[in-house]
Amino acid sequence: MIRTGLWILAGLVLGGIIHIVVILLLPALSATAAWDRVMALGPAEGTQVLAAVAADQPNPLRLDPELAYAICRVDLRKGPGTVVGSLPQAFWSVAVYGRNGTVIYSTTNRDSTSNLLDLGLFNAAQTRLLAEQKLDVAEGLLIVEAQKDDLMVVVRLAPPHLAMRARYEQALAALRCGNLPT
Amino acid sequence: MRFLIHLALMIVVALGTGFGLSWYALNDGRLFGAVEIGPWQAWRDVGVPGPDPYTRAYIARSGALELGASEGLQFIATFDSDNRRLDRNCRYRIDGSTPPARFWTLVPVAPDTGSPITRPDGPLDFHSARLSRAPDGSVELYVSKTLAPQNWLEIAGDGPFDLVLTLYDTSSLSGTGANVATLPSIIREVCA
Repeated sequence: MIRTGLWILAGLVLGGIIHIVVILLLPALSATAAWDRVMALGPAEGTQVLAAVAADQPNPLRLDPELAYAICRVDLRKGPGTVVGSLPQAFWSVAVYGRNGTVIYSTTNRDSTSNLLDLGLFNAAQTRLLAEQKLDVAEGLLIVEAQKDDLMVVVRLAPPHLAMRARYEQALAALRCGNLPT
Repeated sequence: MRFLIHLALMIVVALGTGFGLSWYALNDGRLFGAVEIGPWQAWRDVGVPGPDPYTRAYIARSGALELGASEGLQFIATFDSDNRRLDRNCRYRIDGSTPPARFWTLVPVAPDTGSPITRPDGPLDFHSARLSRAPDGSVELYVSKTLAPQNWLEIAGDGPFDLVLTLYDTSSLSGTGANVATLPSIIREVCA
């Protein structure tokens, strides 16, 4: 009986190890990450406005039906990233995601004095060049430092009414997204 | 023979514990990083740059575009305030106040696909700016297939559903904001 108990105890300890391994490996092995789902939507270049959420249509990214979304993927190996444009007078927010779906940076327009979005994305080496003033950037640029090169920027915009959605989506589509010249 | 039985027992216990605990941690994360306020659950660190390993695993598994910490906070309810699974054949009253936020939305969704389960061609969700309110600011919302008073969202189909409450530009759970215990309760009234 004691021997059986020891085997069960060993099973519990091994189970604890399996649990820790599963939790730590899941982000690397998961096939359902937001990055992969966005990749499946189309080419990586430029700004992409996501289709509005509809009743009974799959919503794998769990988007809010009230909001309009623009997504832009940036590869910092090609140079510092940038997202620039003017947005309507309404709630908007920006979030920068890493490949594993975690949020690296986020902000809203609550404290913004204008409706201009001017975001610059820099990896560690580019941040160093920026600090040494070897990179020429515009004044007022919102600087975000990232540890990884593959980034995804999501701009959320809240149209006050459904009738204004098309115009707000046009404003999102007009956002310029890409790499700064180095 | 006894050795093989013991070995099989150990493997079964190890696999059951390892994968069972992982499944529990990511589905009902109360012990592992999720906060529970009444029937509502949220992962506190889902929008911060360096989340803990459980939150990181949850993000990978959900595959959703999670809100950044500065953008807002999302709560999900799968059970009503009496701990019964939300069912499309029942009428629910969502009653109470919400923490201060620039605005909030409430969407009934299918658990597996995340798609809104409202009637086609009808409104998909509640928006805090488009509701009738009591003089104290509280709201009374109804989610059901059958006609209901006040603010009513008509749903369709059969089976379970989830309610997703998203607060935008809120300081809830930050330690500096209002008491999040003000989240509304979900009361089951009648079932078909």
